[in-house]
Amino acid sequence: MQTWQKLLVVAVLATAVVVAGTLVYFNYVAKRRLIISTTTSLYDTGLLDEIEKQYEATHPVDINIISAGTGIAIQHAQNGDADVILVHAPSQEKTFLEQGWGVNRKIIAYNFFTIVGPANDPAQIAGKTSSEALTDILTYGRNLADQSGSTKIWVSRGDNSGTHTKEQSLWKAAGYNYTEVSKEPWYASVGSGMGDTLNVANQKNAYTLSDIGTFLKFDKEGTISSVALLTEEKSLLNVYSVMAVNQTVPANQTLHDQINYVDAMEFIKYLVSPATQQFIEDFGKADYGQSLFVGAVQPLKNNAPQPIVQWIEDAAYFSGSECPSQYRNGYPELYS
Amino acid sequence: MVDIIGGILKALQLIVTGDPTLYGIVYRSLLFSGVAIVLAALWGTPIAMLLSLREFRGKSLVKAFFNSLIGIPTVVLGLVLYLILSNGGPLGFLGLLYTPGAIILGEAILVTPILVSITYSAIEAVDPEIMNLAKTLGANESQASIAVLKEAINGVILSNIASFNRAVAELGVALLVGGNIAGLTDVLTTAISRYTARGELDLAIALGIILMVIVFLINAIVIMARKARWLLTIWRRSPSWIEPSP
Amino acid sequence: MAITAELKNVTKRYADKTVLENLNLQIQDGEILALLGPNGSGKTTILKILALIENPTGGELKIMGETVTAKNAEKMRLLTSLVFQKTTVFTTSVYNNVAYGLKIRKFPRELLDSEVKKALKLVKLDGFENRPARKLSGGEQQRVAIARALVLKTKLLLLDEPTANLDPSNAAVLEEVIATVNRELRTTIVMATHNMFQAKVLPNRIALINEGRITEIGAPPEVFSKLSKSLVSFAAMDNTYKGKAHASGEGTTIVEVGNGVQVEITGQHEGDVSIFVNPQDIIVSRSTVESSARNVFKGIVTEIADLGSLVRLRIDIGRLFTVQITKRSFDKMGFNLGAEVFIAFKASSVLVV
Repeated sequence: MQTWQKLLVVAVLATAVVVAGTLVYFNYVAKRRLIISTTTSLYDTGLLDEIEKQYEATHPVDINIISAGTGIAIQHAQNGDADVILVHAPSQEKTFLEQGWGVNRKIIAYNFFTIVGPANDPAQIAGKTSSEALTDILTYGRNLADQSGSTKIWVSRGDNSGTHTKEQSLWKAAGYNYTEVSKEPWYASVGSGMGDTLNVANQKNAYTLSDIGTFLKFDKEGTISSVALLTEEKSLLNVYSVMAVNQTVPANQTLHDQINYVDAMEFIKYLVSPATQQFIEDFGKADYGQSLFVGAVQPLKNNAPQPIVQWIEDAAYFSGSECPSQYRNGYPELYS
Repeated sequence: MVDIIGGILKALQLIVTGDPTLYGIVYRSLLFSGVAIVLAALWGTPIAMLLSLREFRGKSLVKAFFNSLIGIPTVVLGLVLYLILSNGGPLGFLGLLYTPGAIILGEAILVTPILVSITYSAIEAVDPEIMNLAKTLGANESQASIAVLKEAINGVILSNIASFNRAVAELGVALLVGGNIAGLTDVLTTAISRYTARGELDLAIALGIILMVIVFLINAIVIMARKARWLLTIWRRSPSWIEPSP
Repeated sequence: MAITAELKNVTKRYADKTVLENLNLQIQDGEILALLGPNGSGKTTILKILALIENPTGGELKIMGETVTAKNAEKMRLLTSLVFQKTTVFTTSVYNNVAYGLKIRKFPRELLDSEVKKALKLVKLDGFENRPARKLSGGEQQRVAIARALVLKTKLLLLDEPTANLDPSNAAVLEEVIATVNRELRTTIVMATHNMFQAKVLPNRIALINEGRITEIGAPPEVFSKLSKSLVSFAAMDNTYKGKAHASGEGTTIVEVGNGVQVEITGQHEGDVSIFVNPQDIIVSRSTVESSARNVFKGIVTEIADLGSLVRLRIDIGRLFTVQITKRSFDKMGFNLGAEVFIAFKASSVLVV
């Protein structure tokens, strides 16, 4: 056999070894994998890393977290590439359940969005409601001397994330057509995670919508000089839910056991347990002087404090429940 | 205010204290890209030999094909591979997505065009009589091809360095098919991406510096090795130890 | 008489031309056979076919009585070695070059060193083992190539114009090596040359090759005596001219070779003759020199070729003459294309073939 033929044979063998090795190792030797697809706003605060550490210490599972954004998380689920998704876009979650991609939804935490902007607040939105603030920003933008598009006064995630979804609903609530607004010269869309978006807004002295967690983290690092300008209100509520990917997704039909449903449910149970809920609330208190997230399980059970519980139900309940019965699959104890 | 000095100091601190997270990331970067180069060299060298030593129809098309793929954007390749390796895709049953194996295969595919191009150019630059010369001295096809390869060794080494650099410095493939899972599939480039997104710029700068240092070091080591190799060949083969001539 | 190699009705065709046509040649065991002919006559092709790196388009090749086929070619190659006209060395040490063929043949490691040493000694390159082969002079590289072939002690040794680009001292070393190897190891040698003197002295037999055919073959004396009758074949060789000879009236002969050029030679000859002047016997100067040389001509330099330590000039005096001078002389004289020069050579330097 000629040299090149010999080399090719070795090449094919080597490739086969790599593929087979990976296959065998990850499916039979290593611990079972639980793949969680989540949003950058949850992940970048470091909360999930902590939860992962604690969970892996007490459970024989290897948690792999893919953080990219709500849009991608949902895509992953549809492709069967994730077992659990952790997102914060109720409208997309509803569709997700209705189309049969997920089951057993639980609302696990909440916090508030805020609009952050330059310290000198040129559009003067401090302390106003979200609708008033957006109107002020829009007016300010339309009155800018520079209408060429190089001066921006608003930066958007633009990536179909939960934050982006919320932003769109806020513009709508303020009475504007989002599609048209987003085309105006003072409006910037970056298509990136929360961190990048905050950096851009900071750089351009513009305003942006951010979850409180990521903002506080960046604020503490000292990398941005923007300040939070709005107070908590109903329209700015940010609700985080977890869902298990449905075993019946088509990807899972053609392949054997690609979705790790059992471990997914164990993890969901863990998230709603009192200890974890307490941990979530305590997270960040020491570093930032306030909680980044508030556990939602207890408040929803106790129906207090109001009006927050009402806000949560209005924003994130479907047909009067966090998970209508037709989208549940076993585990009745979760919904008692 | 971004503190560059702070970043450098933090980098030194992490390196010196042997921070396990950091070293884990460096190790994975070197390992995945290293294995990727081995695979690419195994696939690519025979292809390069065919392209330079044989005539066949459509040869220039094949050459043009590889040349055009040299600059493929890493995210494009990453996306294509994700779609293929995803559980919903044709090769999903292999369970490769979000594993080191996926990064290795992806980067190997990424660098193969460069490796093939530079290698076959190097072989083509070799005196065409070398093949015949080896044969007249008794070599068969196989041995004669090796003699040609040896003459082209500088080019072959160069192609491997260039490939390694591209692999270790790329982001798109590792990110999309590896998932940047902490401790499993995060490498230097994807880790820098994460820390920047999180606003932890000190760490990002630290990793960036380390990445640049690695790239420089690899290049320096290989250049020195080439000089040492030549001396070694002469020394090893002398009947009695003789000073190599300048 | 044992036959080492045989070409039977061998034809070799490339895309646009036929280089060899129905060639028959038997190479006898232990002989030195010279292939003599102008450039392009097919000498190199014959050698390449014998070296098994080219396949005949038609006909049959036999080595040691066995027909060469695609299957046994690689094995058969081990029986022959070829030294190329254009020196080629591997980019490594002299040692590794010379040892290459032995390593291919899986020669025992312990014996490699002494064999290489012996071969280098034979070509007078003692102690050159560790030198990088590519950094040697052209002549030294050619000697490495010879050593590389010799060390294999193949049954058949093929040499393509081995001394064409060597200065006289290197060439002499080589010719001595060839003779020694043939004498002591009984190696069968086939060498291509267009150097008349070499062809006369070294080989047992000469074959004249022209346009892919063997026109004469036999021992040198009989071939050369026939040569003057087959004048056409050698018109293309360097410094070979055919002309009409007549007595000069002073005990020498004048040969008119065309374009008014008259060469004076020793001896008595009449009628059609072929003469040859060794390029190294011709002196070039910028002005006429008073000397004992009978042949002095004025001409123009039409070609300059750098052969390393030697320079080859072509000078048109009405007919083209090839002259070989050392690089140093060339640099000192500062000849350039189109320069007007004088060439001079003795009547006794002219060989009548």
